[in-house]
Amino acid sequence: MKVKVISADHAVAYGAKLARTEVVPAFPITPQTLIVEQLAEFINDGEMDADFITAESEHSAMSIGIGASAGGVRVFTATSSQGLALMHEMIYAVPQNRLPIVMVNVNRSLGAGAGIWVEYNDSMAERDSGWLQMYVEDNQEALDAILMAFRLAEDRRVMLPVMVCLDGFILSHTVEKVEIMEQEEVDRFLPKYEPLHKLDPAEPMLINPIVPPEYAMEMRYQLDRAVDHSRDVIKEVDAEFAKAFGRSYGGLIDTYQMEDAEFAMLTLGTATGLARGIVDELRKDGKKAGLIKLRFMRPFPFKELCQATKGLKALGVFDRSASFNGGGPVHTEVAAALCNVPVMVTGHIAGIGGRDVTPDHMRQMYDVVERASKGEKVRQVTWHGLRGKME
Amino acid sequence: MFEVRFHGRGGQGAVMAAQTLAEAAVIEGYHAHAFPFFGAERRGAPVMAFARIDDKKISIKSQVYEPDLLIVLDESLLDIEPVARGMKKDGKAVINTRKLPMELDLGIEVDCATVNATSIALEFLKAPIVNTAILGAVAKATGIVSMDSMNKAIRNRFGEKFGEAAANANIGAAAAAYEQTVIGRCKGKRPLKAKREWLPDWDQLPMGTALSEGSIDAVMVGPGGARQNLTGTWRVQTPRYDKEKCVRCLRCWFSCPEGCIKRDEDDHVHWDLNYCKGCGICAQVCPVKAIDMIKGGQK
Repeated sequence: MKVKVISADHAVAYGAKLARTEVVPAFPITPQTLIVEQLAEFINDGEMDADFITAESEHSAMSIGIGASAGGVRVFTATSSQGLALMHEMIYAVPQNRLPIVMVNVNRSLGAGAGIWVEYNDSMAERDSGWLQMYVEDNQEALDAILMAFRLAEDRRVMLPVMVCLDGFILSHTVEKVEIMEQEEVDRFLPKYEPLHKLDPAEPMLINPIVPPEYAMEMRYQLDRAVDHSRDVIKEVDAEFAKAFGRSYGGLIDTYQMEDAEFAMLTLGTATGLARGIVDELRKDGKKAGLIKLRFMRPFPFKELCQATKGLKALGVFDRSASFNGGGPVHTEVAAALCNVPVMVTGHIAGIGGRDVTPDHMRQMYDVVERASKGEKVRQVTWHGLRGKME
Repeated sequence: MFEVRFHGRGGQGAVMAAQTLAEAAVIEGYHAHAFPFFGAERRGAPVMAFARIDDKKISIKSQVYEPDLLIVLDESLLDIEPVARGMKKDGKAVINTRKLPMELDLGIEVDCATVNATSIALEFLKAPIVNTAILGAVAKATGIVSMDSMNKAIRNRFGEKFGEAAANANIGAAAAAYEQTVIGRCKGKRPLKAKREWLPDWDQLPMGTALSEGSIDAVMVGPGGARQNLTGTWRVQTPRYDKEKCVRCLRCWFSCPEGCIKRDEDDHVHWDLNYCKGCGICAQVCPVKAIDMIKGGQK
């Protein structure tokens, strides 16, 4: 094992290399660029035996990925924001073709009102595509997530693509300590990919045909079940990962100080680390604060949330994007999951377009949730750090 | 937790300095991270970078608002940016300047170390990239990491990226700065003026994304915003024009990315130095070498 001080983008590149990725189709876009640059360097230096295919657009990058994956090899790619949006059509082709591609989306706001900074409106827009979708909190988790994602994607009970989402700049360009595992260890955890089908001229086969109404419904239900089956596999993969490398991240969610918590926040991405610090502060003051980290947006942890919120009086949900329907996408889903649980759920939108989420913002979120837990009437959705009075 | 904020100009290596400091801290067994202020980085433009060091895992990823250590890579920033904003009263400052600590006014009276990192960088690196020299001063002034760890970190980061010779030159610059750093206390009389920024409430923003000139009282936003944002202050080299040599081909006028070269009636040219960033493209494209670039941002 080596210890390096690197960015999450570079950590991801090490992950894709250790996973023995065989094809990397890519188109560069800030803040994903460091990933594909590093992979190109690994390949150029002979440290990685893979084909790097530069595409003329993200739509083509994913098309190449589909072709390569159907050809029976392990495929990794990465994108951001407008790149993901341009890929949209091809994104939908991957799950239904049951191709276990792993892609990193470095979250960046989707214009207009365009910026290069983090917002989750790019990946949230793809949540109904059939891809499994996970969010990471730090650089080590970014590397580890790539290895877990391939293991999960290629499991015969799953056979689905996985999108690993990480905060643009806040993770992608921040350096911190990352442990890089030995190749032999990783090979034991993630053996060579054995494809279910393989496009081979010697054995002709048709993939991705037009699907008439007689079959589409059954295909979709099969896909729905596969996403559902991934729930158990996610937990197994985490346990296997812990056995191999000594790090565990929980299943669909992870919890912090939830055992006796009266009020809590649910966060995803880097806001989780910030919230952890605020929980420590509140606990020092004798307040029963807790934290739920959302690791997977798909499959969504319906059951796990019902269990984790037992005894909880109020739960605030952090969103780094808005649905323009009064709340954020995570809030809507959490509220749906907990509709039969006696817990007050509030929405908290912050960090939009890369605005720094400060300790004060997080304290304000916990303050609203604490007041809700005491029966006080609070706003259903609060935008934290917004200039001007909310309507 | 020990929090650090770097202020520099694009091209001086503030980000690399922050990363190297974090790596040195990790070598010492601490947890650390480092990141730039995320913006459109341009050579000469004021930039920031941040680092945190702690003996346990650092979970916060917000920017640094109340630094324990302030590092300024370019003295001229003291006059245009409120660099000491939010600084802790018992914090420390490390400044690249020819002056002694007592001759400096940061707007807050704190322990202050000064070093002429620019002259050290010019000597060791033949370029005004002051990041490694300033790190030598940081090691001396704070003791947060040893010079030994700092050298290892410099070797790792610079060696990997630029090769052995570059690593050695940078280690030399850091060592010289460590020797030459003067430690004292600075003055705190200067008022820290707020930055002029256009920050309307949500219901005061114009609808859509179209910004009309009249609606803008901004530094960076909207048409006309550039009138207040004098990008010429970023300049570290200035074009010098020899009118006698000029053949009036207008290549410089055509190539200037800022449009700050003005065409006279007889097709000679002159520069609007309020906006010239000193990129030197005009000097490069001139076929008769009527333009050369001289050091410094003077007019």
